[in-house]
Amino acid sequence: MTSSASLTEPESNLKRILTGFALFALPAGLFIAALLLGRYPITPREVGRTLLSPLFHALAADIPDVARQLILRIRLPRALAALLIGASFGGTGTAFQAIFKNPLVDSNILGVTSGAGFGAALALLLFRSGWEVQAFAFGFGLLAVALAFFGSRLYKSTPLLMLTLMGILIGSLFGSLTALLKYLADPLDTLPAITFWLLGSLTSVTWADLGALAVISVFGLVFLFLVRWRMNVLSLGDAEAKALGVDPARMKLWIIICATLMTSAAVSVSGVIGWVGLVIPHAGRLLVGPDHRRLLPASVGLGAAFLLLIDTLARTVLPGELPLGVLTGLVGVPILILLLRRGRTGW
Amino acid sequence: MRLEAQHLNFAYLPGQTVLHDVSLTVEPGETLFILGRNGSGKSTLVSCLAGLIHPDSGGVTLDGEDIQSLSAAERARKVGLIPQTHTPAFGYTVREMVLMGRAPHLGWLGAPSREDHAIVDDALAQVGIFELADRPYTEISGGEGQLVLIARGLAQQCQVLLMDEPTAHLDLSNRHRVLEIVNQLSERGLSFVICSHSPNNALAYADRVLLLTGGWVTAQGGPENTLTESLLSSVYGIRTEVILDGGRPVAVVTQRPIALLPESLSDPDSLLSEVFGQRGETPQLILVTGLSGVGKTTWCSRLIELARTAGMTVNGVLSPGNFQEERKVGIDVLNLGTGEGRQLARLRIDQAVQVSTPRWEFDPEALDWANAALAEAAVGDLLVIDELGPLEFFQGKGLTAGLARLDAGDYKVACVVIRSALLPNALQRWPHAIVVNGSAKNFKGG
Repeated sequence: MTSSASLTEPESNLKRILTGFALFALPAGLFIAALLLGRYPITPREVGRTLLSPLFHALAADIPDVARQLILRIRLPRALAALLIGASFGGTGTAFQAIFKNPLVDSNILGVTSGAGFGAALALLLFRSGWEVQAFAFGFGLLAVALAFFGSRLYKSTPLLMLTLMGILIGSLFGSLTALLKYLADPLDTLPAITFWLLGSLTSVTWADLGALAVISVFGLVFLFLVRWRMNVLSLGDAEAKALGVDPARMKLWIIICATLMTSAAVSVSGVIGWVGLVIPHAGRLLVGPDHRRLLPASVGLGAAFLLLIDTLARTVLPGELPLGVLTGLVGVPILILLLRRGRTGW
Repeated sequence: MRLEAQHLNFAYLPGQTVLHDVSLTVEPGETLFILGRNGSGKSTLVSCLAGLIHPDSGGVTLDGEDIQSLSAAERARKVGLIPQTHTPAFGYTVREMVLMGRAPHLGWLGAPSREDHAIVDDALAQVGIFELADRPYTEISGGEGQLVLIARGLAQQCQVLLMDEPTAHLDLSNRHRVLEIVNQLSERGLSFVICSHSPNNALAYADRVLLLTGGWVTAQGGPENTLTESLLSSVYGIRTEVILDGGRPVAVVTQRPIALLPESLSDPDSLLSEVFGQRGETPQLILVTGLSGVGKTTWCSRLIELARTAGMTVNGVLSPGNFQEERKVGIDVLNLGTGEGRQLARLRIDQAVQVSTPRWEFDPEALDWANAALAEAAVGDLLVIDELGPLEFFQGKGLTAGLARLDAGDYKVACVVIRSALLPNALQRWPHAIVVNGSAKNFKGG
């Protein structure tokens, strides 16, 4: 990557290129696999032809209609959603760990997921289902972070600590409110819907859900990618960042706004999926080190690959569907333990 | 580049001023050391100079340009701040740490280029740590860490570097290594402002020294004029001795309270005899110190006894404890001039005593009487004041007449009992005082 590094460590440059390629190839390979796998088996040839069929109509002529519908209507949007959401979680988790100078936080630290969970539960209670669930989840996710952010402004001292504390407080407030809604919900009908939503799933993702998610995720990821080197400076703390000519308050505000929009958009589509934003950056650091110039893209790639893997497992290992929130921990913990064993110690 | 601060005043909270009217100038290539006790405002001053906080009044200029008119990035291209050695949350490599010094030279979406990397390599080489470039910053030693931060300052390409206690946790050889590099860089025209706890480093490396006491500038100037025994004693509140080598100051050492027996008054070569021998020429002040209960009052009584035996007149007040079953239950006050005594205070024994109420209940009449005794006492050979405590120093109560006499120098030899914790305050007030270990029992050494 650097001219001097190539002088001192020629072999590490090759490793860097290979790692970079792997981090791109991993989600791409899983994406193909996700389209092939499922209870209705589809061959690679059928998948290839179907994907090209919008361009060359003749290619899809001999493919059964059910296979084509399955790929274009169900598996494709679902796989794309998993990639976008996983990438968002990986990216926002990395950014939050940097600006909070803390490897034990993710973008949920300001209460966005709890807010979204409450919003979804409220909408399920009021409207049963429909677009309101997504809209409420998205809106309340933003509301929770706004409350935490402006609440922390009421106190002048130690802004970072206050922000963290406010985030935790607002998070538990919405957690309690969600519990209240669950208590009030009809146990035969609404309660399972709320519980299922809170466990996370991509079962019902359609192309319609994907539009807003894609726009917000892609713009957000581009922004995080552009400021990723500044995350190094921000992670040294406000005073040092300021002394290095960076305005920490403004920079952090932009990152928080961006990450909150991304997380809210993701959660409103998938429901609550914990763990990914917290742990994927650690896996990234083990692979490429702590420099955010390389860590951010690595976490985005790993996050995308990981959530796609989880979602594919969720719909293939058992006859029924497993909730994503359950599987992320079940699969992720052994993987991370393995990585920690082999990798360097420390972050 | 010329860094100037004019009449800085700063308070974190209204009414709690940390910096009072601080002015300073640092010329290009000059190294200024800021010395002062913990909490004297050194770090606050450096933060003001770095533009991290804005003074309530006064201003900081760089070549005449107000730093508040500069953007954060413009400022950081001129002034660099090197914090105390620290551990970031993430283990960036040394090269990545130094590269962050390029931040003020790049736009807020900018990323470092090949040129930036070349500047970083150059900075690493200048400081002599190129071989550390790929090591994690979190795993190198404290001294190397300081060098990394200096290299970052060089990569920042600023003309003034501010260092907050750069050598506080370093061993002798690393301290030497860091300060030698600072010295060589200053010879190339870089200015340094260094907060330090080491007068010795200042003697060796400073062009100018600023002494700070409670946010006020006590003195400012060349090391020979500022690092003197009396100024250092008053700044730090301990007795210090400046060691000279060929007339040039080379080291500052601190002095412990002197182990001195009252009985040595009979020895004509002893320090005590010397002190009494000079009485009448200049006021001689002996501070008897030690923890509560070590025998400070006993030490004084023995001296009084021996002085009287030698035919000297003794004035002032002594306050011996009043004991019941080995427990101090009261304090008497004794006018040494007349021999009269009163009860000054008694221990509160009522059950309603709260934790925050003082343990001793003073008799205001006895206090007035003691103060009158101190104020009216003739200037005899020996004035005894037992004792001056927090009441006198911080609240303007208690034996205020005694404090006034000491401040006025209205005595020949004064023997004043003072607890250890207040010694710095006493020495800031009377830097010429001799400090004696008031423990009559266990003397270490001579």
